[in-house]
Amino acid sequence: MLNWYEGFDPKNPLVVSSRIRLARNIKGIPFPKRMSDEQKLDVLNKFKSILDGVKLSGGYTLKYINMEAVPEEELFAMVERHVISPDFAKKQGPKGLVISENESVSVMLLEEDHIRIQVILGGLNLSSAYEIAKEIERLLSESLPLAFDNTLGYLTECPTNLGTGLRASLMLHLPILKQSGMLGSISDSVSKIGLTVRGMYGEGSSSKANLFQLSNQVTLGISEEAAIENLTAIATGIVQKELSARDGLERRVIENSVYRSLGTLRYARLLNSEEMMNLISNVKLGIEMGILEDINPALPISLLVQTGAYSLQKSNGRMTPADRDVLRAEIIREKL
Amino acid sequence: MMCDKCGKNPATTHLKTVINGAVKEDHLCSFCAAEIGYTNFGSMSLPNMLATVFGKTASTALGVSNKRCECCGASFSDIAQTGRMGCSECYSTFKAELLPTLNRLHGKAVHVGNAPKTDDTKIKLSEKIAELKAKLSKAVSCEEFEKAAELRDEIHRLEGEQNA
Repeated sequence: MLNWYEGFDPKNPLVVSSRIRLARNIKGIPFPKRMSDEQKLDVLNKFKSILDGVKLSGGYTLKYINMEAVPEEELFAMVERHVISPDFAKKQGPKGLVISENESVSVMLLEEDHIRIQVILGGLNLSSAYEIAKEIERLLSESLPLAFDNTLGYLTECPTNLGTGLRASLMLHLPILKQSGMLGSISDSVSKIGLTVRGMYGEGSSSKANLFQLSNQVTLGISEEAAIENLTAIATGIVQKELSARDGLERRVIENSVYRSLGTLRYARLLNSEEMMNLISNVKLGIEMGILEDINPALPISLLVQTGAYSLQKSNGRMTPADRDVLRAEIIREKL
Repeated sequence: MMCDKCGKNPATTHLKTVINGAVKEDHLCSFCAAEIGYTNFGSMSLPNMLATVFGKTASTALGVSNKRCECCGASFSDIAQTGRMGCSECYSTFKAELLPTLNRLHGKAVHVGNAPKTDDTKIKLSEKIAELKAKLSKAVSCEEFEKAAELRDEIHRLEGEQNA
């Protein structure tokens, strides 16, 4: 089974991935920040006995990992693959992860909340991702009392997640909206209807690979289904805007920049991550616009993930930035 | 509005200086503002921001400040300082103190999404099945077969409900 960065949705080529996150807690025990190590180990054992080895209906088999024993490089490589959050990677003390073989399904245990269920699928697929997350929630709620209040919904450590505890996100590739400066006004308007847009790589609304994450912010007073429908509809609208902005450009100019980027990626001997991200985005644009037809459409994003600083170091040990630039260029030359 | 100084970036910092009654207004971008020492307006983390929202309530609710949550031991000032709850019970322990902040964050919104499917019902169901199974083996050992058959059917029915 493919993971989010190996798949490609031909119907929605600009939607890279769909992610669902559900925050849940157990009733009657403190949130992780106020738990003793003993309490943590006890709760982790319970989670392990419920989820380890379970086969979900979609064919995902879950495995429990003791995260305290995982080396730092691998933790941050997991962050680069979006399997865990940066905060969870940095967190000290007992913590656990339940994960499917292809890493599409992961459950962070004792992050900010007791339970953070995450499902990431390639393309536009929020509803399927939500169904999988719900199945895991059901397994947990059959054996553990979940913290819930009729008015406030699922109770979470941070009061901004109250309600559904659901964060749904779509990763979109929007190079032309970014370059033309239209993204700023889009991000203003979506914030008025309870959504946010932020860059995937880089701070704030900037993004080196022109990848942006559109997510819901409101969790109280809106049902899961409505939040997902809303997000999907707005994402479709933004994608339409990007496509019509592309139509307004001179094709020869785009072709020139796509082929130049491909050339650099294929022949460069040193590639730092910033340059690589820009070039990868151009190549992806070329694939989406039918300029480059012989390249596996999932390859650009897959290369982006595989050549992240920690992912490179995972299989090669600690490296200097210069060594990473050499290896990054080598991997991309070989695969592209 | 663009920055008065560089003219390149949007003005996000607005300064008003009054010297001897003469009012002067400057509109600067974050970089030009940082050059003359006005920094850190934007670098506020979420917990920080929440803490200030809670803080407003905390200062008016000082009278109840020695109350602690029985489950996790947190006081309301712990919550107000960090912007984070100690445990799920804090929401009921400090309901009155939290209400103004929750209204400020979420308006008057009420949860309309899913609820945990089983919370009590399924856990109770499996307890009930275990009880009936114990009765069944007792009935069998006492050779009360008619009763055992009834119990067996009831267990099957409940197990069907459990897997539904």
